Amino acid sequence: MLKIIIPTIMLMPLTWLSKKNMIWINTTTYSLLISLISLSLLNQPSNNSLNFSLMFFSDPLSAPLLVLTTWLLPLMLMASQHHLSKEPLIRKKLYITMLTMLQTFLIMTFTATELISFYILFEATLVPTLIIITRWGNQTERLNAGLYFLFYTLMGSLPLLVALISIQNLTGSLNFLLIQYWNQALPDSWSNIFLWLACMMAFMVKMPLYGLHLWLPKAHVEAPIAGSMVLAAILLKLGGYGMLRITTMLNPQTSFMAYPFLMLSLWGMIMTSSICLRQTDLKSLIAYSSVSHMALVIVAVLIQTPWSYMGATALMIAHGLTSSMLFCLANSNYERTHSRTMILARGLQTLLPLMAAWWLLASLTNLALPPSINLIGELFVVMSSFSWSNITIILMGANITITALYSLYMLITTQRGKYTHHINSIKPSFTRENALMALHMTPLLLLSLNPKIILGFTY
Amino acid sequence: MNPLIFTTILMTVLLGTMIVMMSSHWLMIWIGFEMNLLAIIPILMKKYNPRTMEASTKYFLTQATASMLLMMAIIINLMHSGQWTITKVFNPTASIIMTSALAMKLGLTPFHFWVPEVTQGISLTSGLILLTWQKLAPMSILYQISPSINLNILLTMAVLSILVGGWGGLNQTQLRKIMAYSSIAHMGWMTAVLVYNPTLTMLNMLIYIMMTLTMFMLFIHSSSTTMLSLSHTWNKTPLTTTLILITLLSMGGLPPLSGFMPKWMIIQELTKNSSIILPTLMAIMALLNLYFYMRLTYSTSLTMFPSTNNMKMKWQFETKRITLLPPLIVMSSLLLPLTPMLSILD
Repeated sequence: MLKIIIPTIMLMPLTWLSKKNMIWINTTTYSLLISLISLSLLNQPSNNSLNFSLMFFSDPLSAPLLVLTTWLLPLMLMASQHHLSKEPLIRKKLYITMLTMLQTFLIMTFTATELISFYILFEATLVPTLIIITRWGNQTERLNAGLYFLFYTLMGSLPLLVALISIQNLTGSLNFLLIQYWNQALPDSWSNIFLWLACMMAFMVKMPLYGLHLWLPKAHVEAPIAGSMVLAAILLKLGGYGMLRITTMLNPQTSFMAYPFLMLSLWGMIMTSSICLRQTDLKSLIAYSSVSHMALVIVAVLIQTPWSYMGATALMIAHGLTSSMLFCLANSNYERTHSRTMILARGLQTLLPLMAAWWLLASLTNLALPPSINLIGELFVVMSSFSWSNITIILMGANITITALYSLYMLITTQRGKYTHHINSIKPSFTRENALMALHMTPLLLLSLNPKIILGFTY
Repeated sequence: MNPLIFTTILMTVLLGTMIVMMSSHWLMIWIGFEMNLLAIIPILMKKYNPRTMEASTKYFLTQATASMLLMMAIIINLMHSGQWTITKVFNPTASIIMTSALAMKLGLTPFHFWVPEVTQGISLTSGLILLTWQKLAPMSILYQISPSINLNILLTMAVLSILVGGWGGLNQTQLRKIMAYSSIAHMGWMTAVLVYNPTLTMLNMLIYIMMTLTMFMLFIHSSSTTMLSLSHTWNKTPLTTTLILITLLSMGGLPPLSGFMPKWMIIQELTKNSSIILPTLMAIMALLNLYFYMRLTYSTSLTMFPSTNNMKMKWQFETKRITLLPPLIVMSSLLLPLTPMLSILD
C-alpha cells in the first residue's frame, strides 16, 4: 500500500518544486500514473482480503473506492485549472497541496486496518476540505458552509471515538483483521444501544441522513469545483464505507435500532428528490440529488442482506462518478456565465453540441438507465428492500420516478429550447473539459460490461 | 527596565517555581509560591499604567488568598499527620482546601474570574509567562497529591472549567482574553484525568505549553492584540497567517495535528475507567473552543479581511526577535505520530 501512499505524499514536493508552466502538467500526469497503480488492487484472487501489513489492507469493498479516489485526483486537477488561472503561483501550489493532502488522508482511510487509525484519518480529511471550501469558494456564504460542515461532522464523530475506545476495552483489539474472526453478539442493554448510536451517528451525518443533511447543500454549493467533486464523490462514501465496516460488529441491535434511520432515509429520499424539482440553483440540485442517492445506500446498509451490500457498493461507485461529472458540467456553465441559476443558461445544445452529449449521458446515468452500474446499484437495493418489507416498493418506485423527473428537468432546462440571447458569446468547450467528461464517463460505461469488480465483498 | 534587575527578577520567578517543584517540605513549597508571586508582580507591570496596575493587583490578591488557603491546608495536614513531608494529604478537609487553593492558582472554575481580566491588562510577553510558566508549579503539587484528591470536586471543577472556557471565549475579540479562556478550558482537561493517570496531565501540560507558546509568539511577531489587527497580517507576512491557522486548529484538537493527542489520550483513559458520559461531554464542549478558534482563522487566514489603505502599514517600533519559532510550530502541529513516545513521561 505504501506504493500508492508514498507517491501521493511526494506529489506535494513535486508541486512546490515545479516551474510555473509545468505545475498542472506534472501533477496531473503523476496522479494519473498513481491511479493506474491502484488498479492492480482490483485483482483479488480469493475471497479473503489482500493484507499488505498490519496497518494497511484492501478488500473487495475498499479497492473500488480506492481506485475511485485515485482516479478522481487528476480529474480534480484538470477541472481546477480555469478558476485558478488568475491566481498567483503560490496560491495555486497551496491549492494543489490541499488536494494532495486530502488525497493522502483518503487513501489511508480506505485502507486502514485499525479502527482508531481509520477514525483519526476520517477526521483528518475534514481539515483540507474545510480550507478548500472556505478559502477558495466564491460567495460569502462559504464561511457559514465551512462551519456547518465542520461542526456537524465533529458533533457526530466525537461520540464515535468514545465508542471505539470502549469497544477496544471490551474486545481487546480494534484491528479489523481480528474482529472479523472474533465477532460475538453484543448483549442487549441500554448502554449497548447508546454504543450503537454513537458508532453510527458519525457516518449518518457524513452520508448524510435526511434529518442531518443541512451541511451538504451549503458545502457542495459553496465549494470550488474540485471541492465539490471530492465531496460528492468520495467524502460521502467515507460514511458508507464506515457504516459497512462497523455494522459487522454491531449485531444484533441493528435489527431494531435501524428502524428510525430506515424511516428517515426512505422518507428523506422522496423529500430531497422532490426538492430537486423546485431548485433554481444548478449545484444545489445536484447536491440534493446526492442526498437522495445516499439515502438509498443507507437503506441498503441497514437492511444487511448480501444483495443490499452489493447494491450499496455499486451505487456508491456509480454515484461518485456520476455526481462528480454533473458537478463538472455545472462548473463549465458557471465558468462561462458566473451564475449558478439554471434558467440563465438555457438551450446550450445549440451552442455547445458536444457538451450536450455529455449532459445527456450524465443525466441518463443519474436516472439509472440500464445497463449502467447506477441501475445495478439501485435495482439491487430496491429488490432487497422489497424482500425486507413489501411496502417499500411504493416509496422506491416513487423515488425512481422523481429522480427521472428531475434529471430530465435539469437536462431539458439547460440543453433544450431556444437559447437565451445573452449567452451567444460564450467560449466554446475546451478540450480539457471534453477530456474531463470523457474520463468520467468512460469508467462508468466500461464498468457496465464487468460490474462484478464493484459489487463488493458479498459477490 | 534595567536589564540586570529584570534578569534578577526573572530568575527569582524561575527559582520560586523550581523550589515548589523540587521540595519535599510543605513550608518550602509555600515559600516557593510566595517567591514566585512577589517576583512576578514587577514582570506583570513592565509597562507602568493604571491597567497593568489593576491587573497586577487582581493577580496578587487572588494568588495571595490561594497561598493562605494552601497554608491552612498544610497546617491541618500537619495537625493530623504530624509531619511536613509531601506525600498524600491525610485529612479530607485539608485535601479539599488544598485542591481549592491550587484551583485558584491555576484558574479553574469557580475561581476563574481573574484569568481573563489579568491576562488582558498586561503585555503579551507577560501574558505568555502568566499562562504557561505559572501553571507549572500548582500542577506539580496537584500531581504529587493526586492519590488523595476528592474525585467529585475535581471532576466538577474540570467539567465546569471546560464549559466556562468554551462559552466565555465566544464573545471575545481581544486575543489575550481568548487565550485566557482557552487556558481555563485546557486546565479543565488536565485536571479531569489527574486522578486516573497523572502522566496524561503532564502530557497535556507539555503540549498545551508548546501550543500556547507558539500562539503568543505569533501574536508578538505580528504585534497584534485584537482580532482586527491580527486580520491585517496577510498584508505584512502572509506566512504567519498559515502558521496561525495550523496552530489554532491544533489548539482546537483537530486530528491529525498534535493538539489531538492529549484529548485522545484523556478520552481513552477516562473510557477505560468506565466513565463514558464524561469524556463524551468534555469532547463535545471542546467544540465550543473550536468555534472561536475557527472564527479567528476566518478573519485571519481564510479570508482576505477588508482594510483601508492606511491600515495596511502597521507601526513596528522595534524588530521582534522570535526565538525558537520554527521548532515550536513543528512540534505543536506534527507530533501526533509520535504518540507512543509518551511513555518517556512516566
